[in-house]
Amino acid sequence: MSTAYQFYVSTLLVFWGVNTIAAWGLNLQFGISGVMNFAYIVFQAAGAYTAAVLTLGPASPNGYQHYVGGATLPFPLPLIAATAVGALLAVPIGLIGLRRLRSDYQAMIFLVIALIATDLAESQSGLVNGTSGLFQIPQPLASQLNLSSIGYQWFYVGLAAAICLLVYAVVHRVTGSPLGRSLRAMRDSPEAAAAVGKDVARLRMLVFVLGGGMAGLSGGLLAEYISAWAPGSWLYPETFVYLAAVIIGGRGNNFGVMVGALLVPGFGEVTRFFPHLVDPQISAALEWMGIGAFMLVFLWFWPRGIFPERRRRFAPTEPPLPRAEAAARVPGR
Amino acid sequence: MHLLIPTIGFGLVTASILAIASVGFTLQFAITNILNLAYANVMTSSAFVAYEANRNGIGIWYCIALGGLFGALFSMLLNRFVFTPFIRRGTRAVGAVIVSIAVGLLVLYGVVIIWSPNYVSYQGTAGRSVHIGSMIFTVTQLGIIGVAVASMLLVHILLAYTKLGKAMRATAMNPPLARASGISTDRVVDLTWLISGALCGIAGVVFGMNVISFTPFTEQDFLIVIVAAAVLGGIGRPYGAMLGALTIGLATELSALVFNPAYKEIIAFIILAVVLLVRPQGILSGGLSKEEATA
Repeated sequence: MSTAYQFYVSTLLVFWGVNTIAAWGLNLQFGISGVMNFAYIVFQAAGAYTAAVLTLGPASPNGYQHYVGGATLPFPLPLIAATAVGALLAVPIGLIGLRRLRSDYQAMIFLVIALIATDLAESQSGLVNGTSGLFQIPQPLASQLNLSSIGYQWFYVGLAAAICLLVYAVVHRVTGSPLGRSLRAMRDSPEAAAAVGKDVARLRMLVFVLGGGMAGLSGGLLAEYISAWAPGSWLYPETFVYLAAVIIGGRGNNFGVMVGALLVPGFGEVTRFFPHLVDPQISAALEWMGIGAFMLVFLWFWPRGIFPERRRRFAPTEPPLPRAEAAARVPGR
Repeated sequence: MHLLIPTIGFGLVTASILAIASVGFTLQFAITNILNLAYANVMTSSAFVAYEANRNGIGIWYCIALGGLFGALFSMLLNRFVFTPFIRRGTRAVGAVIVSIAVGLLVLYGVVIIWSPNYVSYQGTAGRSVHIGSMIFTVTQLGIIGVAVASMLLVHILLAYTKLGKAMRATAMNPPLARASGISTDRVVDLTWLISGALCGIAGVVFGMNVISFTPFTEQDFLIVIVAAAVLGGIGRPYGAMLGALTIGLATELSALVFNPAYKEIIAFIILAVVLLVRPQGILSGGLSKEEATA
């Protein structure tokens, strides 16, 4: 493989890894639990900014980038912090958005939160350098490893793959456990889930925090890779890319969502092979229209996606757990 | 403090645009039970249709009517050919919101492809300024306030004094009962999308006139303010939306006296968040209120 192709393929693989992590997080919230978080991209952005600021070092007052809380932390720490910030941010946003409102009101409030977050990042230029965003973010371990640029590409592919495995372990543990069953019950009928003693508000907040952490981690991984992060990278329709990945892949199906995370952003890559046909502004607009159109087509013809969620059957003989025990089981698993 | 009175003037202009937009938004929800988040994008498309007419020499005031007409037809067609079929298929609440955002992306980027993502302005919006007390308005701004007052009066007359208004209120309260009483709810829904779409289109054009120059993306942030006004007034209540628009319009402009004007939308959002945290029942009770329904 020529160097250029190696570069191209490895970049696509890293993006696939990042998108898979993010799409799994959204799948946990929307696909498994039925909580539609249109502000999802904000959590990814928060993670990306956190990782960036924690590797860039303290901002110098007369430098060209202005931001708060700069530090130079060694490799895994910025990503861990990105995860933590994504998860913590879920608490206040969840408190505003996850009130006992109808699901479509919730979706509307989250969309408004996404718009306002972009506004805030752009107008508060001292926070994360306004519209220009952060750039020249050092890549993790780049100086210690001393690899060729292609070698580093493949190192990052391995890093992304390892983190994907780690996240998959968490996701699989949640969705395959009794907790996952409670979450799907809540998605299918919140009232029925509440009636059998599930604390719906608490479950919602739990997936909100878990998904937020995963979004934050994906953001940190992405920003450290592309070395830059600006409000233009996380406008509200970006959430829609992940939502399209979840719906087209198959909501509730972790494998399907992984395939969706390859297909949906990959669709944009197709236009790259015809650069002579359209100018870049138009092709970006066509990409967004394509995502909107794909969404409508899938929602109409295949609302369960390419890989529909496996139907689960349970033997009806198992006696119900006593209330106290059932309640004790929910948060831990 | 010498800025206070003129700022109230600006607040009235913002409130006027917002009232047109949020009454249309809340009407769509009240009668068809769809939260149409493509609303701001339909506003944008109407503003650009009006821009095309304006560029070809049609006077700006006729363009408002044209934008309203386009918004009305476009909204009705969207409902007929996209929203209603999905609802008939059993698309649930959050599914309908996803559909509306997908439609919004198609509309927004369709406008970008047709008219480019660059700034455009209307011709003929410049005019002399008028002093009313210590408030200063341009002729355009006074016109915008006039359009808003006229629209609100028409909405009021429609809802309170016409048979269609009564049918709309009945459909909002209880669609099966309305059908059982001989109201053709499909026709009412079509007419509602025409009326709310007209408000949406008019709002899009007057917004463009007020900001002087705009891109296809400018009106997107206005959705924050529209939602804030509609939720503050109790979503689904047209009179509440008018009151919400007045409050939010004045509050955002007056806040610019104290804070950076870039925070206008953020102030609207803080009001929205406080309403959601303190009085979520305002938003929980959808539909027209009891007094309005029995009027």
